[in-house]
Amino acid sequence: MFAIIAAKDLRVLTRDGRLLWAGGLVVMLMLVALAAGWNRQVQLNSERSAGQALDYDAWLHQRHRHPHDAAEQGMHVFKPEPSLAVFDPGIGPFVGSTVWLQAHRQSEVKFRPAQDATGLQRFGELSPAWLLQVLLPLLIIVIGFNSVSDERERGTLRQLISLGATARSLLFGKAAALASCVGILIAPVGLAIAVLIVARLPAGERVDVVYRIAWLAAGYGLYLGFFVFLTLAVSALARSSRAALVLLLGFWVATMLIAPRTASEATNLLYPTPSRLDFDDQLAHDMADAGRKAWSTHFGARTQWDPSVPLSKWGAALKVDDEAGYGALDENFGRLWDTFERQQLAQVWIGLVAPVVALRGYSMGLAGTDFSQHRDFSTAAEAQRRKIQNIVSEDLIEHADRLGNAHFTYKAGPELWASVPQFKYELPSVSFALAHHWASLALLAVMFCLSVALAQYALTRPLMR
Amino acid sequence: MKTMQPRPLSTLSLIVLHEARILVRDRTLLLVCCVLTLMVGYGLFVGLAQATLRDRMVAQVLKHEQETQTANSGTLQSVLAGQTALIPFSNPANPAAMAGTLSGRYATMPNAPLAALAIGQSDMMPNYYRITYLSKVQFMYDTEIENPWNLLSGHFDLAFVIVFVLPLLVTTLGYNLLSAEREHGTLRMLCSQPLSIATLMTGKVVVRMLALLAIVIPVPLVVLLLIRPEARGAEQLVLMLSWSALVAAYCLFWFAVAALVNTVGRSSSTNALIMMALWTIFVLILPVTMNLAVGLVSPAPSRTELASRTRVATAESLREYEDLYSADYRYASDPEALLVKNERIEVPSRMRAFFLAKQKVDEQIEPLLKRFDQQLLQQQKLVDRLSLLSPAMLVNEALTSIAGTDSRRFLAFKDQTEAFHKRWRQYFSPRIQESRAMTVRDLSSLPRWHWVEMPASEIRWSIWWRAMLMLALASVLGGLALARSSRGSIE
Repeated sequence: MFAIIAAKDLRVLTRDGRLLWAGGLVVMLMLVALAAGWNRQVQLNSERSAGQALDYDAWLHQRHRHPHDAAEQGMHVFKPEPSLAVFDPGIGPFVGSTVWLQAHRQSEVKFRPAQDATGLQRFGELSPAWLLQVLLPLLIIVIGFNSVSDERERGTLRQLISLGATARSLLFGKAAALASCVGILIAPVGLAIAVLIVARLPAGERVDVVYRIAWLAAGYGLYLGFFVFLTLAVSALARSSRAALVLLLGFWVATMLIAPRTASEATNLLYPTPSRLDFDDQLAHDMADAGRKAWSTHFGARTQWDPSVPLSKWGAALKVDDEAGYGALDENFGRLWDTFERQQLAQVWIGLVAPVVALRGYSMGLAGTDFSQHRDFSTAAEAQRRKIQNIVSEDLIEHADRLGNAHFTYKAGPELWASVPQFKYELPSVSFALAHHWASLALLAVMFCLSVALAQYALTRPLMR
Repeated sequence: MKTMQPRPLSTLSLIVLHEARILVRDRTLLLVCCVLTLMVGYGLFVGLAQATLRDRMVAQVLKHEQETQTANSGTLQSVLAGQTALIPFSNPANPAAMAGTLSGRYATMPNAPLAALAIGQSDMMPNYYRITYLSKVQFMYDTEIENPWNLLSGHFDLAFVIVFVLPLLVTTLGYNLLSAEREHGTLRMLCSQPLSIATLMTGKVVVRMLALLAIVIPVPLVVLLLIRPEARGAEQLVLMLSWSALVAAYCLFWFAVAALVNTVGRSSSTNALIMMALWTIFVLILPVTMNLAVGLVSPAPSRTELASRTRVATAESLREYEDLYSADYRYASDPEALLVKNERIEVPSRMRAFFLAKQKVDEQIEPLLKRFDQQLLQQQKLVDRLSLLSPAMLVNEALTSIAGTDSRRFLAFKDQTEAFHKRWRQYFSPRIQESRAMTVRDLSSLPRWHWVEMPASEIRWSIWWRAMLMLALASVLGGLALARSSRGSIE
């Protein structure tokens, strides 16, 4: 019975114009989004890895110069694009990708793509993830809102039941029909692109990406499943097809449009983000404090770069000064980033009302384009900067400090440049992402089960109303 | 003698009256109006909070500037009087120190008077830059701090309520303008009256539109006039007028669409579906697709290339000023060398090197940086043209430019900052080269920052042009709907 119902519904849906038009549009957009994302990624990645290699090469082949000046030239490092960014660019447009590692400055990741884009960027980014998160639920609603109500209105529901169709087979038959419509639309494209992405990767990274894709599929499956069962439930509960449609569209608008923005505003009130000015002031204040303390304990000086400290101690002073700053940097940036993460974590709970919020975080987490993974890169870049700085300071203590006033005439050579290792950054593995986002997945699973339960209840209610 | 011909105006007012009664009793209108009021209020609150934050930042920066200036001239006076021990890096008599670490100069861009109406790009672009001799690549790419997740979600500001939500509320009120009458069987009855369907539909639209506009237009304007004194000028009133015209035209456009959909003669459910599809296409799909297209047609230059060029330029400047960089440094052991003698001061050669090197880097990077800005302007022009495709894009662009939070204004700010940065350097360059010490009088005559607002006439023209276009579009659709309605079936 289940199979018959599913087959009949599927036939009805495929003959209906709604699926053809809406589905065709979604598939077309998906292809456009994939092509654009693919193109961008190939270009960016080759450009960045070439840029980074050139940069390190230039570092190695510097002429003889004062190490502190070499640190002034510094090193550029670029954030690699995770391969699944094609699917979900996540916060990519709004965070930078380039760090200039220089002496004395915390490396901030700069050049957000959104800065090079117009205000149109704020409408959103056309990506496969956006299509699956926003448009597919709408498609499910549009093709499924009358799947039960229509049968009741035409009187065919009674006939079906008289033929011995149980509520369970009715529910799962209709759900299977809806789900296979969605599946027909996205599965071929999804599979093809997954194979393409995995095939292009070096063998070592393949397993991780395959796991990521599998987890993504699970998340999106639960999410779209939620919408399938919710649509059926509302279709069965509502008084008429029209009422079902209005209710479902209202839910879609509220969750897709209103909830994410309200959630950001609300969490911003809960955990306020400091303004750039406040943040910089606080950081400068803390750095100066830590610097003063360090200078007075090490050199008995009242201020940083106190004239009482002779030039023969400048290498050592540089080291003391830099190291004093690390604590303040860690604390201030740590606090800011914790605020961001706390804001996002709080929004997971909004997922109980609007599952799209939970899914969005989960999806970008698994795609490797969320904030925690960006933070991981920023931390790694900063660690590299400190490495350069320490090597430079040690060398200065060893060689330049002996020269007294001729401190800056000291010139280091290629051996020193070569002692700075190349910056190698490996994207965190799938377990890192899961550790950050398991709560969202659990929440999606709960929402899915709730929607199944609701649909079951809706279909087992007495027919006579 | 009275004619039997009904006068269209009185019929219209009759219909308006009846519709109003029905809508009030029906509670849909009440519900929609409540939702709209809440959202407008909240959107305004968010916009006001953001504007206040920006105001506070500018005020704070100016205060900081004042304080630094006072501190500098205090230190300078005591340095000249020989009362303060000399610190090589923070001696205000040294022009290189004044140009760099001691500089308390900021370039700031104040909020436009109507900034609370749309957040636009203001959550991402900085509204102040600290001006020193540092290279542009070092200070022009700082951004405002905001959680990237929130940037992605977008803000719940008034522009969002108008561009995204208002059409949905119009849809809620208007998807069944005629179809409901048809489904209830009352359309037949109405047609038997001396009444054209066009008049009927006009009456229905008038009631609904007035109800929505009575909330969405006056509420924000009155609140702004009450709590932001700078919004009270004549020029601002004209801007508000154009804002109202724009919002009204956008609202009318969506009602015209609803009316047109209703004349097709489908069921209410189908109408709702069609309206939703149109909304999705105009408000969601077209803007994101166009964003993609703009990036493809007119791509921004590569930031990776910029990074590589910066590296090359830095290395070259290091090489060029190598001798200055590695000169002897005796000031720590011999602070007397930093004393001002005959209005001359010895600028430590390393500091001179820093100044010159950064200047050199900028000279070399400049053409590439210009290309970024030109490309962005190019993109903006493209957006202006493409926004004709979607009313949502058109209105969004106009709303942000009324609020002064559009990319154009931020780009102008960046442009002016760059010019000021150049002036700042030019002021110090001869002083550093010729080892001229800063005097107390110099400190008060340092280059000052003045923000030159974008020409109002240009903004006004671009807004009215959009409002008129919107209105024309709405009238064409409305006219089409009215023409069709007289030929529609009543079954």
